[in-house]
Amino acid sequence: MITASKTAKLSTATISRRGLMRGIGAAGLAAGASAVGRRAYAQGKAPVSLAFWTFDNPQQRPWLNKRIKLFMEKNPNVIVDFQWFPFGDLGKKLSVGFATGTAPEGFVSQDWLMPIWLDKGLISPLDVTRLGYSSFKAFTDDYAPAFVAGATKDGKAYGYPLWFYGYCNYLNTKHFNQVGLDASNDWPQNWEQLGEVAKRLTIKDGAKFTRQGFKFAMHAAPWTMIQFNPILIQCGGAWFDANGKCTVNNAAGVKAMTIRASMAKQYGAEDPADSIATNPLPQLDWFKERVSMFFCHPIPPTLIKAQNADMMAGHYYREVQYPGVETGRGYSSTYGFNLVINAQIPQDKQEVLHDLYRFIMSDPVDCWNDTAPFTLARKSGWVDNPAVKAFPDIDQFIEARDRGVFLPRTLVYNELADAMHRAVQRIMLNNADIKTALDEAAAEVDRATAAYKRG
Amino acid sequence: MTELRAAIIPPTRLIRRSRPLLGSIALAGLAFAFVVPILWMTTTSFQAGEKMFQLTTEWIPSVWHPENYPNALSRGAFGRYFLNSGVVSFAVMTGNLVFCTLAGYGLAKFHFPCARLILLLILSTLMLPLEVTLVPTFLVIHKFGWLNSYQGIIGPLLVDAFGVFLMRQAIVSIPSDYLEAARIDGAGELRILWQIVLPQCKPALAVLAVFSFRDSWDQFLWPLTVVSVDRMRTYPLGLVQFGDDYGNPPTEQMAIAVLATIPVFLLFAVLQRAFTRGFGLSGLK
Amino acid sequence: MSGKASALLPSDARACSASTARRFWRFDFRDRIRAWGFGFVLPTVVFFAVFKYGPMLWALELSFTSYDMVSQPRFVGLDNYRDLLADPIFRETLVNTLVYIGGSTVLITLVALALALAINTRVPGARHCMMAMFLTNLMPIIAVCLVWRFLLHPHGLISQLLHPLGFDRVDWLTSSWTAMPCIIFVTVWRFAPYFMVVFIAGLLAIPDDYYEAAHLDGASPLQRFWYITLPLLTPMVFFVVVVAALLSARIFLMPFIITGGGPGNATRVLSMLIYETGFSYLKMGRAAAISAVLFAIMMIFTFLQMRFYMGREEAYIR
Repeated sequence: MITASKTAKLSTATISRRGLMRGIGAAGLAAGASAVGRRAYAQGKAPVSLAFWTFDNPQQRPWLNKRIKLFMEKNPNVIVDFQWFPFGDLGKKLSVGFATGTAPEGFVSQDWLMPIWLDKGLISPLDVTRLGYSSFKAFTDDYAPAFVAGATKDGKAYGYPLWFYGYCNYLNTKHFNQVGLDASNDWPQNWEQLGEVAKRLTIKDGAKFTRQGFKFAMHAAPWTMIQFNPILIQCGGAWFDANGKCTVNNAAGVKAMTIRASMAKQYGAEDPADSIATNPLPQLDWFKERVSMFFCHPIPPTLIKAQNADMMAGHYYREVQYPGVETGRGYSSTYGFNLVINAQIPQDKQEVLHDLYRFIMSDPVDCWNDTAPFTLARKSGWVDNPAVKAFPDIDQFIEARDRGVFLPRTLVYNELADAMHRAVQRIMLNNADIKTALDEAAAEVDRATAAYKRG
Repeated sequence: MTELRAAIIPPTRLIRRSRPLLGSIALAGLAFAFVVPILWMTTTSFQAGEKMFQLTTEWIPSVWHPENYPNALSRGAFGRYFLNSGVVSFAVMTGNLVFCTLAGYGLAKFHFPCARLILLLILSTLMLPLEVTLVPTFLVIHKFGWLNSYQGIIGPLLVDAFGVFLMRQAIVSIPSDYLEAARIDGAGELRILWQIVLPQCKPALAVLAVFSFRDSWDQFLWPLTVVSVDRMRTYPLGLVQFGDDYGNPPTEQMAIAVLATIPVFLLFAVLQRAFTRGFGLSGLK
Repeated sequence: MSGKASALLPSDARACSASTARRFWRFDFRDRIRAWGFGFVLPTVVFFAVFKYGPMLWALELSFTSYDMVSQPRFVGLDNYRDLLADPIFRETLVNTLVYIGGSTVLITLVALALALAINTRVPGARHCMMAMFLTNLMPIIAVCLVWRFLLHPHGLISQLLHPLGFDRVDWLTSSWTAMPCIIFVTVWRFAPYFMVVFIAGLLAIPDDYYEAAHLDGASPLQRFWYITLPLLTPMVFFVVVVAALLSARIFLMPFIITGGGPGNATRVLSMLIYETGFSYLKMGRAAAISAVLFAIMMIFTFLQMRFYMGREEAYIR
């Protein structure tokens, strides 16, 4: 981890965050080694110290750390204090940081939080030329439209996209073979097929499910949103209408929720109360072969191997696309992460951050090697690389990324997610009426929107 | 003074003629029922990663995996985390012992006006959940320049209203006549405190020591807020971070949890003599 | 230094002090004692003023504003409170919280007292049983939540124990009937041993000769308990009831991790709502208003307890 050596003493006399950073930075200067090929502009410059925060992920975080270390070697006048926090806590640390003037200079933003930072003017616009693009159009062309829409505003880019991926349907091909199906041909392409296939895959022992054919994630609100969002859009529904009123309870919304509930209620292929999933491992039921199909983000091979070595060795799993309302035209939710810059820091630090980000993203193949199969947001510069092409089912991941729809961009995203999560729990666990539950959820969201508007 | 001591240490025992062995078994059964989750945690900490989520528990592991412990420790700077927790908890324990006893004594035995009101006010500090006072407390610590330091983590925990209340209750039952007599005899207030009050509330002091150590040992929300650098993290932050990293076997997380119970348990084992002294005279043990 | 005859009784000293005090000290004898008492309490009061009351007053002030943490607070008067009253989620959560606090407090006190009495019978191995039970309080809260989530799985250990009774599965945490009782159960499991130790410390302070005398007088065990143990334990009972209530009012990680507030809203308690409202929805002003409501509830409760118990304290102890 890049930070000061343990002998750095915090100066208690200075109150400012910058003083704090300088103290840490001075000791860390000793850690910087001179690397091959210094860039000209780095010589003779004043020392710059920055704090950079990201969330913890066993593949993504070490890669970021590695790239930042490399940058510091090439630019010895720059000291970056690299810190990471649990995924769910990063947003909170950032809020407290902004509230108290101790937020980091640069950080990774989960993209559903972008509207909040943008609305409150906390992140500063990026100079795309400094990032290596000739124009704003060149920048937006290099990324999937769904993504760019979330990171740009009024003709300016505010986030430099990192990873961006969609969900695939992970199949256990061994289970398919057991019931006489062929995963390559019989994978479900619409929701009815999903139900039928799941029903065939289900094994019950009395009232207890030995194996559930398919399962929706029930453990956390973000996953409820991510998995339900595409169903709603596919049914022609929308989260909000033009006036900002929540419309999840209209006919399309009810249809979408009925589809979602059908796996358990109509096809009897799912037991919503029976899951061993945890926050870090929502796909645990699938790993332990208690479930044959599960919608999930790209799963690193090391994780599959760690959780189910047999599955890895026998390679009896496959990723396919999300089912759709129209056969073969399914799509999932896509979301990602941006590198952003704190708007409250001085210009010289912002420039250094631009250079840092440009450097981090200058080797996308290296990123892929370390963090596969998390796909990058960028279109160019890596997809045609042989190492990338050799990855099993890489086309599925890229297709999921390109087809997918964005999560709703709203300032009350968290309230929306919580309301939907409650509604889904009521419907699936307490057998509530779908329309009633959705009406309640919509009312909650409208209240939240009204409260936000009042400010 | 000697009469005082005699009154505290029960000179005779009320003989329980009624079947002590049956009582022992019943009590042991009850204790076992309580302890089942801990047994589960300990057993699981020695299992291989995939055993963690099996709904039928294997109480005695068929294959032992003691390497979970060194593996778990190596995945994060746990040595440092435990050290930080230890320093913080020890300081908080000491602070509580000193200040809570003083304040408890003051509230119990000195009748200055509005003592009841002050007690209510002190208790009121427990009525607001920590989340709401998180940001302003952070700002106070920030003003002192104590972010990311031991003082910063210890600061708000140094005196706990529970402790004040506990000591007040413990001291209230000491008959005031002893104190008055000592005062008439010319003893100074500090001497009264040291020689009369403290020995009589040893059990409560032991309880306070264990509780304040344990409460600060487990603190999560406050260190999460005030610490932004890895080397100052306390172990609960490390434990949560560890669990959130899906690459780590969850059985190793149980291993760290088991390790975390040891220091407080040791402290309790040492101090519980102070208030179960009376048990020792039974002769039945 | 007093120079007075040590044969004087405290009451005489009190009577004399008014007239004779000024001959011996600058301050009145009684005042000097009071000053000492105040001095003992002072460091704690100062500490609280800086670290507790300051933030608390700030939080109260905040409840009349709209504050999203990243811009300046904006005064909105009673809007937050009005919104809360109109919010069904708040009302449901309030009811949940009252049920939770009430259930936990009563059960914790009763179970802790029962356990302490059981340990106090001093049968062989009692000390070891006490230590084993106390261990349950030492488990890190994250581990507690993880473990209980598995034990309370519909097909988990607790359900398996009920197989012989004919229950195939019980949806402990996902059925709105059983979810809150389960959370209360886990809370009692975790905190009863904590308070058991407090009660043991209190029980030990009761001299055995009181019991011997009563026994000789022919009192039954129940009468001994009712007339000796319980009154002398009053300070500790007061402590346990108040502290258990305050603790359960603040508990947040347990329902948060075990059920996340679900199913639906069944186990959402005010402390969780405060956390979500403040840090998830970035509505600190509203979170502060919810806290003020919680604060008022606990304040009333504690005040009532004080009136109930402190009178008794004086009667039995003095």
